[in-house]
Amino acid sequence: MAAIRFDGVSKVYGDGTRAVKELDLAIVEGEFMVFVGPSGCGKTTALRMVAGLEAISAGRVMIGERVVNHVSPKDRDIAMVFQNYALYPHMTVAQNLAFGLKLRNISRSEIERRVRDAAAVLDLEDHLERKPKALSGGQRQRVALGRAIVREPAAFLMDEPLSNLDAALRVQTRAEILKIQKRLATTTIYVTHDQVEAMTMGDRIAVMREGVLQQSGTPEHLYTRPANTFVATFIGSPAMNLVPAPVLGLGPDSLIAGFRPEHIRVEPAPDGAVGFEARVEVVEYLGDEQLAHLRLGELALVAKLPVQERVEPGMAAAFAVAREAVLFFAAETGVAAEPP
Amino acid sequence: MSVFPLGRRRQRLHDASPPALVLEDDWSRPSVRWGLGTAHTVLLVLLVIIGLGPILWLAKSAITPTQDTLATPLALFPHGFAWSNLTDAWNTIDIGLYMWNTIVLAFGSLIAQIVVATTGAYALSALRPKFGGVIMALLLTTLFVPPVVLLVPLYVEIVHPPLIDHSFVNNYFAIWLPEAASAFNVVLMKRFFDNLPREIFEAARIDGCGSFRLFFSIVLPMSRPILGVVSIFAVLASWKDYLWPLLVLGNTNLQPLSVRLYAIEDFTPLGYFLAAMLITCIVPIIGFLVFQRGFLRGTGLSGALKG
Ligand SMILES: Nc1ncnc2c1ncn2[C@@H]1O[C@H](COP(=O)(O)OP(=O)(O)O)[C@@H](O)[C@H]1O
Ligand SMILES: [Mg+2]
Repeated sequence: MAAIRFDGVSKVYGDGTRAVKELDLAIVEGEFMVFVGPSGCGKTTALRMVAGLEAISAGRVMIGERVVNHVSPKDRDIAMVFQNYALYPHMTVAQNLAFGLKLRNISRSEIERRVRDAAAVLDLEDHLERKPKALSGGQRQRVALGRAIVREPAAFLMDEPLSNLDAALRVQTRAEILKIQKRLATTTIYVTHDQVEAMTMGDRIAVMREGVLQQSGTPEHLYTRPANTFVATFIGSPAMNLVPAPVLGLGPDSLIAGFRPEHIRVEPAPDGAVGFEARVEVVEYLGDEQLAHLRLGELALVAKLPVQERVEPGMAAAFAVAREAVLFFAAETGVAAEPP
Repeated sequence: MSVFPLGRRRQRLHDASPPALVLEDDWSRPSVRWGLGTAHTVLLVLLVIIGLGPILWLAKSAITPTQDTLATPLALFPHGFAWSNLTDAWNTIDIGLYMWNTIVLAFGSLIAQIVVATTGAYALSALRPKFGGVIMALLLTTLFVPPVVLLVPLYVEIVHPPLIDHSFVNNYFAIWLPEAASAFNVVLMKRFFDNLPREIFEAARIDGCGSFRLFFSIVLPMSRPILGVVSIFAVLASWKDYLWPLLVLGNTNLQPLSVRLYAIEDFTPLGYFLAAMLITCIVPIIGFLVFQRGFLRGTGLSGALKG
C-alpha cells in the first residue's frame, strides 16, 4: 500500500502529441481513484507513466516516498490489469497467476497459497489447469484481476478492465472489483471513459480533458459542484442543462446557468423558483422514470420526471427549477462562477 | 458418357450471377457428380504421378539389379529385386558417415540460424535500440544481393576470418557461420515479433521480467509457429546445399551426402548409387511426415487477448 503523487507531470510523445499536461494529483493510501474522460484525453498515458511503461517527459511521479521516474516497471511494486487482459497464452491459469510470484523468489508454498486464495475469491478454482483460450471473456478478465491480486502490490493500476465485457457481466464484475479493493485496501487507479463506472466505483474521481485535469473530488462533489461546464456535462446522465443566464432571467450575458434534469418539475414556478414555458418534443419512458426532451426557443433541454407526470409530445407546459439547484458558469471560460 | 453436361452448363453461365463454377444443386445431378468426380480423380492421379513419381521411380531403381536398370530401364523388376543394393550402398559408400555429417551440418545450421534470428529480431522488435531502423534497412538491402555474388568474398572471409587468425576451411563453422547470418530469418522473425501483442510484454515486465526473462519465458514460447517455419527452411536448405560445402569442405571425411554422392557417381555401380540416393531422400521425407503437424499447426495465441 502506498500513496501515489503526480507533481506537474507531462507527457509529450515522440510525434509531438502532448497527451498529459502538468498533472498535479495526490492519491492517498488505500484510495480508489478513477481517471475518467472522453477517449484520447490522456488517461491511459497517465496510468502508464505510473506503471513505468511510458517515460515521463516532465514533472515527477511518486509511489510512496519514492520518486519513480527512472525506476523500471518491475521494481515499482505495482500490478496492472490491461483492457485486453494480456494473459500469457502459453501458460495455464495457475501459471499465469504464479508467474509474477516466481520471478520474485517467493517460496513455493506461499505461491500455492496465494494462487489458491485468489482462485477461490475469483471463482477460478475449476479452471486452474486451462489455457486462456479455453476461457470465456469474463473468466479471462478474472484471471487478469487474479494476476494483480496475488502479487499483493503497493498499488493496482487498471485500464478499462471492464470495457470488453457485456453489460450484465460488467455490473457484476464492477461490484467484485470494489469488494476486493475494499478488503485489500490497496491503492488503486482505475481508468474508464464511462462516467457511470466512475461515479459508482470511485472514492474520488479525476476528470480529464485533452490532457488537462479538470477537477478531482468525490463523486458527490463532482456532481453537485462541478468546476466547469465540461465536468458539469460529462458527469451525470442525461447531461446537465446549460442555458444562457438571461434566457431564464437569472443574470447577465456573461453567465451560463446549469441545472440537472432531475431538478426540473412540471408546475408553474412558485415564489423564488425559476420558471419557464417549454414544448415537450419527445418522451422516453424508462419504467421508473421518464425523460422529457423540451424545446425552449432555440434551446434543447432534458427533464427527468416521475412517471406519474402526464407529459405528452407536442404539449406546452410550465416548468420550474428550485433556485438552489441552479449553478452558474462564466460564459467565456466555462469555469464555475458565483451566482449573481 | 459426357464428361460435362455442356448444354445445361452453358445455360447456367448465361444467367449466372453466382460466381461458383458449379452450383450446389448441380452436384445432385448424376451426370455432374460422375463427370466432375472423374475429373477430380484424374487430376489427383496426375498430381501424385508428377509429385511422387520420381521418388517412386528412384525407389524402384534402387532395388533393381544394376544390369536390369542399364539394359531395360523402363521394365519393372524383370529379374526380381536386389535388396542387397541398400545394404551394400550403406556399407561400401559409408553412407552412415556422410549421413551423420549431413545431420550435424543441418542441425548446426538450424541452431545457429535460430539463435541469430531470434535474438536479432528480439533486439530490433522489442528492445528497440537507437539505430534499429538503420540496422533493419541495412539488413533488408542484403536481401537484394544475389548469393552468387557473395561466393568469392565469403570464401576469402572464411579462409582469412577477421579477428581470428585461423582458417575455417575444413571446419563446420565455415558452413554454420554464414548460414547464421541470414537476413531473411531476422526479417521474418521480426515481423512475427512485431505482431505479438505488446501488452503481454508489458504485463510480463510489470510482473518482474527483465529483457532476458522476457525473451525466454514469454517471447520464445509464443513464437513456436515461426520457429517451426525457420527450422524447416534451415534444415531443408542445409540438407540440399551443394556448392558451398563443396568449396569449404575439401576433406572427404567431413563432406555431407550432397557433395559426396556427386563425387562418387563415376566409380560407383549404378544400383548402389541409386540406393544411396534413395536413403538420402527418405530421411527428410520421414522428418517431414513426423513434424508436419507441428509445423502446420495454428499459432495457439488466440484467447490470450480479447478480440
Ligand atoms: N504511443 C503514442 N504515440 C503518440 N501518441 C500517442 C501514443 N499513445 C497515445 N497517444 C496520443 O495521446 C493522447 C492520449 O492517449 P491515451 O492516453 O491513450 O488516451 P485515453 O486513454 O484517455 O483514451 C491521444 O491523443 C493519443 O492519440
Ligand atoms: Mg485508454
